[in-house]
Amino acid sequence: MDSSTSVALEPVLSFLAFSLSKLESGFYRIPGSAVVARYVKSSHQNDPGRTILELILVIFAIRTLLQSRTRTDRSGKHFIKFSEKEIDELVDEWVPEPLAQPLSEWEQRDLSSVPVISGPNGPKPKLLATGKIVTNLASFNFAGLAGNEKVKERALETLQKYGLGSCGPPGFYGTIDVHLDLEREIAEFLGTEASILYSQGFSTISSVIPAFCKRGDIIVADRSVNFAIQKGILISRSTVRWFDHNDLKSLEDTLISVEKERKKRKGPLTRRFIITEGIFERDGEMVDLPKLVELKLKYKYRLILDESISFGTMGRTGRGLTELYNVPASQIDMLVGSVANGLCSAGGFCAGSSIVVDHQSCIKQRINGTSFVFSASMPALLATSGSEAITFLRNNPSVLLNLQDNIRAIRAVLEKTEGITLLGHRASPIIHFCLRTQQQSLAVTQPTYDYEAEERILQDIVDDSIANGVLLTRAKHLRGQEMVESRPTIRIAATAALSRKEVEKAAGVVKASVTRILSKRR
Amino acid sequence: MPSPMALNPPSRSPSIFKKKKSFSQLSSMATAASYLSAVHQADTRARSHDNSSVSSTPALSLSSSVTASSEDTILNEDDENNCLAYPFTPPTSEQVFTTVHTEFGHCANEAYRCVSKHDYSKPVQEHNIEEPPYYILLTTYISYLILLCFGHMRDFFGKRFTKSYFTHLMPHDGYAPLNSDFDSFYTRRLKRRMDDCFSQPVTGVAGRTIVILDRYSTDNNHTQIFTGGKTRALNISSYNYLGFAQARGGCADAVEESIRRYGVSTCGTRLESGSSELHASAEALVARFVGMEDALISSMGFATNSTFIPALVGKGSLVISDELNHASIRVGVRHSDAQVRMFKHNDMLSLESLLREVVSQGQPKTHRPWKKILVIVEGLYSMEGTLVNLPRIVELKQKYKFFLFVDEAHSIGALGPHGRGVTDYFNIPPRSIDVLMGTFTKSFGAAGGYIAGPKILIDALRLHGHSGLYAEAMTPPVLTQVVSSMASIMGVVPSSQSTKSALTLSPASSIVTLKDGAEELPVMAPSSMLPTWMNLHPALADGSEARMRIRRLAFNSRYLHQGLKKLGFITYGHPFSPIVPLLIFNPGKMSMFSRMMRSRSTPIVVVVVAYPATPLVTSRVRFCVSASHTKEDIDMVLRACDEVGGILDLKHGVGERWGIDEVCKRAVELVHSV
Repeated sequence: MDSSTSVALEPVLSFLAFSLSKLESGFYRIPGSAVVARYVKSSHQNDPGRTILELILVIFAIRTLLQSRTRTDRSGKHFIKFSEKEIDELVDEWVPEPLAQPLSEWEQRDLSSVPVISGPNGPKPKLLATGKIVTNLASFNFAGLAGNEKVKERALETLQKYGLGSCGPPGFYGTIDVHLDLEREIAEFLGTEASILYSQGFSTISSVIPAFCKRGDIIVADRSVNFAIQKGILISRSTVRWFDHNDLKSLEDTLISVEKERKKRKGPLTRRFIITEGIFERDGEMVDLPKLVELKLKYKYRLILDESISFGTMGRTGRGLTELYNVPASQIDMLVGSVANGLCSAGGFCAGSSIVVDHQSCIKQRINGTSFVFSASMPALLATSGSEAITFLRNNPSVLLNLQDNIRAIRAVLEKTEGITLLGHRASPIIHFCLRTQQQSLAVTQPTYDYEAEERILQDIVDDSIANGVLLTRAKHLRGQEMVESRPTIRIAATAALSRKEVEKAAGVVKASVTRILSKRR
Repeated sequence: MPSPMALNPPSRSPSIFKKKKSFSQLSSMATAASYLSAVHQADTRARSHDNSSVSSTPALSLSSSVTASSEDTILNEDDENNCLAYPFTPPTSEQVFTTVHTEFGHCANEAYRCVSKHDYSKPVQEHNIEEPPYYILLTTYISYLILLCFGHMRDFFGKRFTKSYFTHLMPHDGYAPLNSDFDSFYTRRLKRRMDDCFSQPVTGVAGRTIVILDRYSTDNNHTQIFTGGKTRALNISSYNYLGFAQARGGCADAVEESIRRYGVSTCGTRLESGSSELHASAEALVARFVGMEDALISSMGFATNSTFIPALVGKGSLVISDELNHASIRVGVRHSDAQVRMFKHNDMLSLESLLREVVSQGQPKTHRPWKKILVIVEGLYSMEGTLVNLPRIVELKQKYKFFLFVDEAHSIGALGPHGRGVTDYFNIPPRSIDVLMGTFTKSFGAAGGYIAGPKILIDALRLHGHSGLYAEAMTPPVLTQVVSSMASIMGVVPSSQSTKSALTLSPASSIVTLKDGAEELPVMAPSSMLPTWMNLHPALADGSEARMRIRRLAFNSRYLHQGLKKLGFITYGHPFSPIVPLLIFNPGKMSMFSRMMRSRSTPIVVVVVAYPATPLVTSRVRFCVSASHTKEDIDMVLRACDEVGGILDLKHGVGERWGIDEVCKRAVELVHSV
């Protein structure tokens, strides 16, 4: 038996031996194969256990390499295996919530009470609902540029040459020469090296922040910054520390504690930013810019300052807080402003500081600013309107004096009004007021008031004053989505387009409305 | 005709424009008759003195008569480029063109039209990708490898020896660098070397042609120096699908009137006293146009997604997103608290298996059922030119009960027999989709975006979307452009009939008309929806001009697709997509392609895109076809691609190949062949 099997296997064995030797000679013909053979031999060292171990290692490596391409969700410990039938049943059972809930009664009232303007907006617009002409204390027309004939002329000229849309993002033939002109004019106006235009004011800062701040960077921000900044900070994924609203002492404490932490951890030097607003959109407070710049320089932070409200309204010619406090704009690393608010057109900008930072920052934003890169550029005629507005501000410093007069007039009337508290800085072009409570505490962190009830009272005041010929608006916030819930307020936007008399009269109407509504409540 | 491949540097002559002050008295001569005779003269003149180098006085006079006022609209340059300024064939006496040829090309040949509509006898085209030969892939990888090696080596040595160039990348007096050298590697080492192909400043209208500002660089693209010269080039890059980027014409007239009446801004946010009656009428018109109950307008296209998606979904919701969705959608989803899962681009099997998984598994860890699932897809993908497989997704929607959000940024206006986007193309009732989003930047020549859906939803978005409270409202000129261009696509019902047609125009019947078939007109705009002061001229008001635009766009897109294929190029995308990507692969060829196209005797500006906007190997040039292009323009692009592609070795497609002349000759046959 034994010999017969060996005889039967002989051709097979000889074939195997032959093919082995063939393989071996073939293997040695491959360049570099000698090295591999030597490695295998030396690692084998007459110990098959070692070879097997190495083989297992190789197989394991290949397996992990192949595995990493599929998502781990299916193999995770929380994954439950279902049969196809069970999945079908689960799919049938699942009932999603509706995409949107119908509006509540209050929300419906809120929506229907939004004033719609018939014809052009300006100091004295006509309301669509009533057809009445009202005095406008609500729209952002600080320097009175709405309806400016020169701006209109310039827009018409631009239209005839450029059409309306730019039909492309800035990277792909959407950069029109008028955009470059406006960018240069803004930079010259502010005294910075360069600036960059975004096509929507709101999206500007929420795109600027993530363009610079990345994971691991440190942001120190005011607790009450506006919604756009909050969103930008959220997207940036940086480490955030908050300081108390407009409290530079608290800012300094925070900066010191961050520095202490860093020293303790002995971490590498990371980018550090202070983010705050010039004039806070939420309540009209104004930041002490010289002190802020001093702190920024002392602790070596970069400053991102949102001047959406203060640009075009503050200082002698509307250059913003830098002009008001006589701080060179180059001290502010990224100065963000709104062409829509300050220049009555559309869009926003970010102006950069010193040569290096600015040159780099602008290039960086031209690549990393998401809403710059991925969005069509601003229509040409809105850009030239912005340019014309800058010329207007440069040539007419008196309008901002009128604006300050009107602010003082409004505050003078409202300060004497019972039942409300005026918020914000005395020179701020937006004037917030909220209802006065017995405790007189305005600390936003401890709500000692009934948000919804106050909202309703304020809306009654707004409605009443509209009925009496003065357009007002509540400062509206997305409740629940803002980081800090601030007390409901009515926001008055002063304008230079009205005379002092008209403003006083309008403020008087507001005062009367407040008194009327509040007395009804009692 | 353009000369073969002359790699001329861009001309740096100080100015190729000439002031035409002495002929300004002619500028008022804008009637059709004067225009016709002018074009006639131009043509005969161009033919008689073929190579006269400097244009003589008649040319000046007629160019000012054609442009009617703007001196930049028509160039006064060598005869070669007259194919950009004047039509190849002179118009006959019965043809009346109301557009300026440089903005919107004259094309009277009715054979060069096509209807964009899905043929249900064939299955929906899958997104098939043609593979290039292996050596192309290999060389592409090798070139990136070389780039990486050299780049890092230069960084390494540069930081030690030429510190001045790297100060912005190194910590200095206590400040961390604003850019980390690792993050900016690609920007510095690849993009900067071809910066002359990006962010090219332009002037004038981004229509059929565009005027680029000549520039050059002496320091490897660190800074660009403007020569002051300008060059008119054929524009196959702007998102001007229906050709509404015009400084002349009915829409521009309407915008002009609106600036006079409304100024340029509404000074505020929508909810805080920046709402104008124009917003209300534009929103009603958009809702009617897309066939939804209500619509909401936002002043920026990007922000439409990034500020309204967070109001749609929140904690406990799931967003299922196509892997190639636009950045604005990603930002929007990140702003919300919803979870995200991705599926393979346009792969319905991948989507279904993902749906089965997420519905059966529920939320991670807790296994609670999802509150809601929102699938976000784009109608037409801007980098690929692929069209969403909407019929299948709507089928899946019925089964898996998810909500469907279709971003029609590129498809609205550009697709479908009536320009109503993908729903129109597939003849699917728009209301079987929950949310339709789109932009006005592309087909309408305006700016901003809309979101449309059921009234309950839109009202909620008005209050809870970020835009309504915090972002400036859309400005009156932009609104007017939207309303006038959209109304002209819809056609306006004359006011005498509007009472009669009011019954048939109820929202419910609009779906029925859309279903009935392409021949029947879908809803028109009742004249009561337009501002009373807006007088569109008859060709715009009856929708005939817009119909012509839509059909010209379909013809042009299809012709370019098929032509490039027949010439042997690898292209992506749907044959009806106005976005035509042509694959280049090697990064080095990208800038060459762009420069060679730009320096032709008739310059053509193109968009090249590479990593990170596309996968590493598939660098591409992206053509955006417009209705404003004539058949001759597409011929010119094909001819240029043929020559440049031959030199750069780009023709790797499989299938039958034709010569360029045959492609041009048999264009109509090509377009109708698939």
